[in-house]
Amino acid sequence: MTNHQWRRCLRPATLTACGTLVLVSIFIPTTLGLPPISALLPGAILAALSVLALLLLIQDQREAAQPQQEQTIGTTPHRALQAFALIVGYALSVEWFGFYPSTAVGIPLTAYVFGYREPKGLLLATAIATGGIYLIFSYAMAQEFPSGLLWSK
Amino acid sequence: MYMELINALPGVMNLSNLMAVVAGVIAGIVVGALPGLSATMAISVLLPFTFGLEPLLALGLMAGIYNGAMYGGAIPAVLLRIPGTPAAVATSFDGYPMAQSGQGGYALQVAVVSSSIGGIASAIALMLLAPPLSKVTLLFGSAEVFWVAVFGLCSIIFLLGGNVIKGLMSACLGVFISIVGTDPILGVDRYTFDRLELLDGINIVVLLVGLYALPPAIDLLESPLRADSVKSKQLGTESIWQTLPRMLRFWKTWLRSSLIGIWIGILPGAGGSMAAFMSYNEARRNSKTPETWGNGEPEGVAAAETANNADTAAALIPALTLGIPGTAVAAVMLGGLLIHGLQPGPMLFRESPDVVFGFMWQFLLGAIFLVFLGGSLATNTFAKLLNLPRPLLGSVIMVLMFIGVYSIHGRMFDVYMMLFFGAIGYVMDKLKFPLPPVVLGLILGSFAEENLRLALRIGRGDWSILLANTTSQFLVLMTLAVIFGPFVKRHWLARKASKQGS
Repeated sequence: MTNHQWRRCLRPATLTACGTLVLVSIFIPTTLGLPPISALLPGAILAALSVLALLLLIQDQREAAQPQQEQTIGTTPHRALQAFALIVGYALSVEWFGFYPSTAVGIPLTAYVFGYREPKGLLLATAIATGGIYLIFSYAMAQEFPSGLLWSK
Repeated sequence: MYMELINALPGVMNLSNLMAVVAGVIAGIVVGALPGLSATMAISVLLPFTFGLEPLLALGLMAGIYNGAMYGGAIPAVLLRIPGTPAAVATSFDGYPMAQSGQGGYALQVAVVSSSIGGIASAIALMLLAPPLSKVTLLFGSAEVFWVAVFGLCSIIFLLGGNVIKGLMSACLGVFISIVGTDPILGVDRYTFDRLELLDGINIVVLLVGLYALPPAIDLLESPLRADSVKSKQLGTESIWQTLPRMLRFWKTWLRSSLIGIWIGILPGAGGSMAAFMSYNEARRNSKTPETWGNGEPEGVAAAETANNADTAAALIPALTLGIPGTAVAAVMLGGLLIHGLQPGPMLFRESPDVVFGFMWQFLLGAIFLVFLGGSLATNTFAKLLNLPRPLLGSVIMVLMFIGVYSIHGRMFDVYMMLFFGAIGYVMDKLKFPLPPVVLGLILGSFAEENLRLALRIGRGDWSILLANTTSQFLVLMTLAVIFGPFVKRHWLARKASKQGS
C-alpha cells in the first residue's frame, strides 16, 4: 500500500464510517435476540446507520481522490488529547483519592499545564473554587461527593 | 385560551421566581461575554443543579440565561471584535469600530436596549402563537404524533444545511441512545449489557453535558486566546437613560429585526446567527447611508442584536407545542423540561399550564430585566472579566461538569458516560457532524417509538393506519417537502443560473 493510499484510509470521516459499520455489526446479534416489536426501531436505526456509513465512506473516498483534499480533526490534536486525558484523570482521581483533594490539585494543575502559570492567581482561583463548592454543595445543600476508594479500603 | 396565561402571572411574580430570572440574566451575560462559552453550554452545565428546584425556578434560570447570553455575546464583539457567541458576529461589524472611536459604551447601550426589545417581542410572539397552536396539536392521535416526531427530526437535519449524511447519522445516534434501557411496553432489556445503571436508559443531562459542555471546556484549554486587554477609554460613561432618546430613531430597525428574528426562531434549524445576519443585511439595504455601515454605524448593532434576541423565545414555539426544538438551546431547554417530568408537546399545555405559561412570562421578564442588568454590567469593571485566563476557566468548568453529572444519581458511572459522550461530541464537532440532531433524536426517538407502537396496536398491526387520516398525510407531505425541498430549490437555481449564463 502506497503512502497516499494509506493516508486515504486513515481520513477521519473514513475511519468514522468504518467504525460505525463495526459498531453496527456488534449490535446486530443483540437486536436479533429481541422480540420483533422491540427490535423494530433499533433494527431500522442500525440498518439506516449502516447505509449512511457506506454513503459517508463513498463520499469521503471520492473527496480524497481529489489531490488537494486534506482532512484533520483539529489544529492541535495533541493538546486536545492532553486536555481530555487530564479531565479523565481528574475523574479517576476523584474516584480513588476523593473529590476535594482531587479538585484542589486538579484545578491548578490543569490550568498550569495549559499555560496559566501565575502562582498567586492559581492559588486564589483554587481556594475560591474549592471553598465555594464546599460552602454551596457540601455545607448548604448537604451534597455528598466521593471520599476516595483508596481511603475507604 | 389566554386566560390561563393571565392566571399564571401571579405564580411567577413571587420573589424567588423573580430572583431566579435575575440570577439567570446575570449568569447569562457573564457566560455570553466569555468567548468560547455559549448559552447552550451554560444551560447544559446548570441543568443537573436544578433537580432539587421547583420547575418554575429552574425554568426561570434557563430563560434568564438564554436572554442574557444573547446580549452578553455583544460585549467582547464590541470591545475586542471577538464574538462571545456565534450570534454576535454581526454585532462586531459596527460595534468594534464604534469602540475604536471611543463609543464602546454607547455601542453596548444600543446592544442592550435592542436585545431587550427583541426579547420582549419574541416573548410576546411566544405568548400569542403557542396557545392556539397547542389547541390544534391536542387533536393529534398517536399516528399523527409519530409523524410530528419524524417531521421534527427531518426538518432539523435538512434545514440545518451542511452534510445531510452526517446530519442523518447524528439523528440515528440520538435515536439509538434513546432506545437503551428497558423496553417500556414489553419490559425487555435493550443494549444494557447487564449494567443496572442502564436499565432506566441514558439520562438526557449526561448526554447534554457531555455533548455541549465538554467540547468547549477542551477548546478553552487547548487554545488559549490572546486577547487585547480591554481599555477603559473604549467605554463611554454616559448613563443609559441619557442615551435612550438618541436611539429612538432605530424604531423601524427594531420592528423589522424583531419580525425577522421571530420568523427565523420559529423555523427549525436556523438560529440566532442567521437571524442577526439577515436582519443586518436588511437594515443596511434599507438605510439611507449604507456607506457608513461597517465603520461604526449604531443602527447595525441595533439590527443584529434585536434579531438575535428575537430568536430566543420564538424558537420555543415549535418546541413547546410540538416537542420539536428549533435550535440547540431549545433542545437543551426541552431536556430541562424533561428532567422536571414535563413532556414537551401539546399535552404540556393541558397538564401543566401554570408551568408552561409561567415560563413564557419569565421570558418576558428576563427580556425586561436585561435592559437594567445589562446596562449596569456593561462597565469597565465587568469588561475586565473578559481577561480571565481561559485555562483557569476550563479547569473550573471541568469541576462543575463533574459535580452536575455526579449529583444526578450520586454515582461515578454517569461521570464516565458523560466523558464518553463528550469524546464523541468533540470528534463529531471537529468532523462537522451536527450535534442538535443527536439531542433531538434522544428526545424524539423514544417518543416516536412509543406512538408508533401505540398506533400499530390501535390498528391491530395494520401499518396503513399511519396514513389513514388527512392530518397524517399532510404531515408526511410536509416531511417530504422538508427533505426534498432543498434539493429541488438547488436544482431550480442551478437551471436558472445556467439559463442566464447561456
